[in-house]
Amino acid sequence: MIEPQEIETKLLDFLKREVFAANVVVTPETDLIASGFDSMSLVRVLLFIEQSYGFWIPEGEITGDALQNVRSLAATAARILNAR
Amino acid sequence: MNLTELLEQAAKRYPQKPAIVEESTVVSYGELVTQVGELARQIRSLHIGNGSRVGLAFPNGIAYVALTFALWRLNIVVVPVPTECPEEEIEEIAVAMQLAGILTPKPRTNSVAVAPDCYFTKLNPATPPDNHGLNLAFIRFTSGTTSARKGVALSHETIRDRVLSANKAFGITPDDTVIWCLPMAHHFLITIVLYIEVGATIILARHVTAKPFLEAVNHWKGTVLYAAPFHFSMWARDNSAAQIPSVRLAVSTTCALPQTVADDFFKRFNLPLVQGLGVIELGLVALNTAASREKWNSVGSVAGGFELRIVNPDADGCGELAVRGPGIFDAYVAPWVPREEVLRDGWFFTGDIGRVDADSFLFLLSRKTAVINLAGRKVFPEEIETVLNRYPAVSESRVYGKLHPHLGETVEAEVVLSSPDAKLDTIHAFCREHLASYKIPTRFTIVAALPRTPVTGKIRRAAPVA
Repeated sequence: MIEPQEIETKLLDFLKREVFAANVVVTPETDLIASGFDSMSLVRVLLFIEQSYGFWIPEGEITGDALQNVRSLAATAARILNAR
Repeated sequence: MNLTELLEQAAKRYPQKPAIVEESTVVSYGELVTQVGELARQIRSLHIGNGSRVGLAFPNGIAYVALTFALWRLNIVVVPVPTECPEEEIEEIAVAMQLAGILTPKPRTNSVAVAPDCYFTKLNPATPPDNHGLNLAFIRFTSGTTSARKGVALSHETIRDRVLSANKAFGITPDDTVIWCLPMAHHFLITIVLYIEVGATIILARHVTAKPFLEAVNHWKGTVLYAAPFHFSMWARDNSAAQIPSVRLAVSTTCALPQTVADDFFKRFNLPLVQGLGVIELGLVALNTAASREKWNSVGSVAGGFELRIVNPDADGCGELAVRGPGIFDAYVAPWVPREEVLRDGWFFTGDIGRVDADSFLFLLSRKTAVINLAGRKVFPEEIETVLNRYPAVSESRVYGKLHPHLGETVEAEVVLSSPDAKLDTIHAFCREHLASYKIPTRFTIVAALPRTPVTGKIRRAAPVA
């Protein structure tokens, strides 16, 4: 079992480091789309998860709800990973 | 001629018809002409000379389209600057393209307001640009290397010719509604300009995830989709019951369409994905509307007045593609090389390897150029290598595409280190400082040496690895 919090921490670190500009404040609850998260950011995140955990989030799971914030994204990833 | 005439003619025919829809804002053709005129008036007061080049660093939006036409009306050359570019890349484009200034939606140091959410930063090119007497409209900046040719220049006449030629294949009509999700900074001429020339309606999709996108298609009764395999793959896996019966044409662009995506999308929506061959120097060369299911991996037969030749075919009929036809680019920019010096007897050698079957369908086998296609964006290996090679502990590097089932390709790098103590983390952080996020290689491999070509000793360019 992998805890969603673990993925959340890694994702948050990744987003701050690689996706968002240095002046953008990102917390687990930050509205991603409103902060400028675009389709290229999504590609970066999907690749990061694939590299870190060895699986590609199925496209059917990439919904507006999953992309709401880092917490929902981490919860989606954890649910899929733990079901494998 | 001036490309704004295309917009004005559409507005005369359909003054009330929606041209572009962004969120809750609907702009008719008549209103778009008014906006363009107003912006042109504001920009004129900046005293930018005829034929000057201005960088346009705007995200997708009505403003992007209106500003492009406003600059064209003033005979200013538009140079798209993708919004994801870090400052260093913007400066590189500004210097290489000799920009007179840059338009941005947010203020920059020493910028002046042109309109709400539109600022102009004046730049002073070391030498003013020479357009060699051409009526230039657009320059696509292409690469960050010292050796490669930077920038492909297109005149107003060239763009008009390629737009009209492309529509012989696309067949866009005033009744079409295009649901748009690709970055305009990368895709504009044979798409957005074409839709406007015809008088179609463009809906800017804000969200590309399946649910809101499919809702937008159905809400606006979209008839045309133009997107990357990555997008089609995402929509194909939508597990709702939503169908998109209004769509008549779905074009998959930017990189080769994987068979799984073609099949999944067809199963989900009973709609074939159509592939084509677009080349920045040429426009739309081919489009496979005739047999998009039977020959799903073909880019189709040649479109709109183009001619195609396979040069020195091997026993299987495979060889380099040479093309001639309407709307061929006018010149490479830095250094300036006019079209006449690039073409051989009127033919443009694309660098792509392909074959043509008995029914005249073209199949692409490999690309001689090393451009990497990452979910709809072009990434130039040389540009990333230039950054890597500047890092003190890297003596040389090679960047290549790795095939990815969902994204087309991803970016990977091999580096040769000059110091055994060098850490990949710090190289990675260095890339983050100097490159747009998506250009950072997702995997680095340390190697002892790079493969080189036997005769010239150049680093060997690899085809995308599986």
